[in-house]
Amino acid sequence: MKHIRHLAAAGAAALLAAGGSAAIAADVKVGSAAGITGPIEGLVPPILAGRNLAATHVNEQGGILGGGTYMLVPGDSQCNPKAAVDAGTKLVNVEQVVAVIGPSCSGATNGMAQSVTIPAGVVTLSDSATAPMISFLEDGDLVFRAAPSDGYQSSALARFAWDAGLRKIAVTYANDDYNAGLGEAFVAAFEQIGGTITGKQAHEPDRQSYRSELSTLAGGGADALAVFAYFGGSGITILRNSLENALFDRFLGADGMMDNSVIEQLGADTLRGKITLSQPAPEAEGDSGPGESYTAFAEAFMAAGHEPTAPYVSHGYDVAFLMALAIEKAGAADRGKISAALREVANAPGMVIRPGEWQKAREAIAAGEDINYEGASGAIEFDENGDVSGATYTFNGVGDDGTWTPMK
Amino acid sequence: MEQIYGIFLYTVFLLTMGGIYAVLTLGLNIQWGFTGLFNAGVAGFFAIGAYTSAMLTTAASHRHLGGLGLPAGAGMAAAMVASALIAWGVARICIRLRSDYLAIATLGLAEIFRLVLKNENWATNGARGISLIPKPFEHLPEPWNQVAMLLLVFAIVLVLYGLLERAQRAPWGRVMSAIRENEAAARAAGKDVERLRIEAFILGAAVMGLGGALMAHHIKFIDPNMAEPVSATFLVWVMLVIGGSANNRGAILGAVLVWTIWSTTEIITTRLPAEWALKAAYLRIFLVGLALQFILQRYPGGIFRERRLRTVAPPSSQKGGSHP
Repeated sequence: MKHIRHLAAAGAAALLAAGGSAAIAADVKVGSAAGITGPIEGLVPPILAGRNLAATHVNEQGGILGGGTYMLVPGDSQCNPKAAVDAGTKLVNVEQVVAVIGPSCSGATNGMAQSVTIPAGVVTLSDSATAPMISFLEDGDLVFRAAPSDGYQSSALARFAWDAGLRKIAVTYANDDYNAGLGEAFVAAFEQIGGTITGKQAHEPDRQSYRSELSTLAGGGADALAVFAYFGGSGITILRNSLENALFDRFLGADGMMDNSVIEQLGADTLRGKITLSQPAPEAEGDSGPGESYTAFAEAFMAAGHEPTAPYVSHGYDVAFLMALAIEKAGAADRGKISAALREVANAPGMVIRPGEWQKAREAIAAGEDINYEGASGAIEFDENGDVSGATYTFNGVGDDGTWTPMK
Repeated sequence: MEQIYGIFLYTVFLLTMGGIYAVLTLGLNIQWGFTGLFNAGVAGFFAIGAYTSAMLTTAASHRHLGGLGLPAGAGMAAAMVASALIAWGVARICIRLRSDYLAIATLGLAEIFRLVLKNENWATNGARGISLIPKPFEHLPEPWNQVAMLLLVFAIVLVLYGLLERAQRAPWGRVMSAIRENEAAARAAGKDVERLRIEAFILGAAVMGLGGALMAHHIKFIDPNMAEPVSATFLVWVMLVIGGSANNRGAILGAVLVWTIWSTTEIITTRLPAEWALKAAYLRIFLVGLALQFILQRYPGGIFRERRLRTVAPPSSQKGGSHP
């Protein structure tokens, strides 16, 4: 028993030590939950870099709430609801964060919101949870997301495929909460336009080979294969198996595949002209090309040494920046005021604020002006469910320089 | 003040999760601790319990089967029955396998259950999971909702503990340890070893199913990721081994202690500078491993060892073989 007492005492001491150092005046803490370990660990580091860049912009341009430091406290939601609830409880109760950005995955968001943040009255703003279910939580207006629900991207890709003259498509998707949703929405959208789905198959990620599934799918005589997968989980393997065995030579995909390692591993010349990936992109302003907000973000992000086309990094930047704006607008690190403030700073009308324009936003808020954040990932107008309504998409292929390049 | 209140709420949450894991660990203790059945498929029975209760207690939904809106208590009872029934089927096929073969068979079965739950979209909503699961007492004001949930879990653990202590002392429990230590001798003494092993397997699985149901209600959401082997099978094993197998108090202590280490290490790694955020998550897993290693080195037989019953033994009482 004596040992146990020691252990208990040590545990209590650790808790107290953790709590004691938490409250430093004027600093504003926001939880930054993400699937740092677990199934999407390859996708998360650039997203976190995006969030941290926003915090850097805030802190370099005068800080938050009259000079305080805007601190993002990391929590590892592991893409697993159990872990997300655990991480969320620590952020909300031990770290006493004002709000939470993230978590990454839909399942993690679902668990953390229902079990922790909604009962505690804390706003969450996810950058990559796309499941439609999240719109239907009884959230008391506390659950927001900057990533469009699955349906939009799938419809856009289906429309693109039809316009490109593809009529018969085979579909394969990784069986996880993100890709399964995209895949099924794509099937529905493409059939609605009038196209034929020659076969659809869910697959388990991280396998050595997908030859047998692909041979079955190729038997249907499809013009193209739509692959919904994370590049590192199964995406690259599926492309490689298809090309090696000459099963498909035209591919469609979504933003989970947007990584330069796909081109590096398979070869730019092999893929050029054969693959098109959709990605949420800001409204094009003027004739063509990405919008002003995206350019502002992309330049800053590249200067910091990161790749701005990676999946959901612009959303990561946007949620961290928006949350800072909402706290500044609320005028206090008060959990109860964030929800309303978030809508005010994100939605039109108001003075347009773009990524990196923290000082301008701060001065406008101080002057009592209404502001409207136009994000790197899109205009970001929250509807009554806290979702961004629709988005525009770019369609990317392999460019002459061997990177993903938007195609006209 | 808010800080202290926050730490109080976190402690309530920590103990609730620890208590739910204690239910799982007690279930495993019946199988491994009492009887020596190497069940490496805890996650499977966890998932069956969680999904059964989730489907029965949620409101009607077009996303998954069930949606009967039953009270949580009925869901938990059904979770135990469903786990027990499936365990009976599994046991009929696998129970004669020696320990390591049983481990392989159950590990495989748990993966099969997980993949079925993940792929049968019409029944379980597949990878997207079941949401809006009602949580007992959730309509009470904070903090009473959380405290009441903790008390419920605590009461369940206490009742299980009482029953299992009783069972372990009863002739039934003693036959189980006889089977564990020397199956041939138990058989020679006229015991129906196979039937008794099946009983222990079913009972343990039913308790694991209850643990799964509690987890589903606590998190209010369940998806197949929650039944992956690391956090649903191996973590439970670590808890039992550290606490002390064949000792119910050890099972409970191990669960709470290991969960506390698992969870609180993040509080420490969060304090690292921001540029460490990515490394910190991995450093935390390292810290968990280090802490577990330390405890195992310090208490190689578990923190609480099995208590041997003092019975009025004949003079030539057998030597107590050491438990693996």
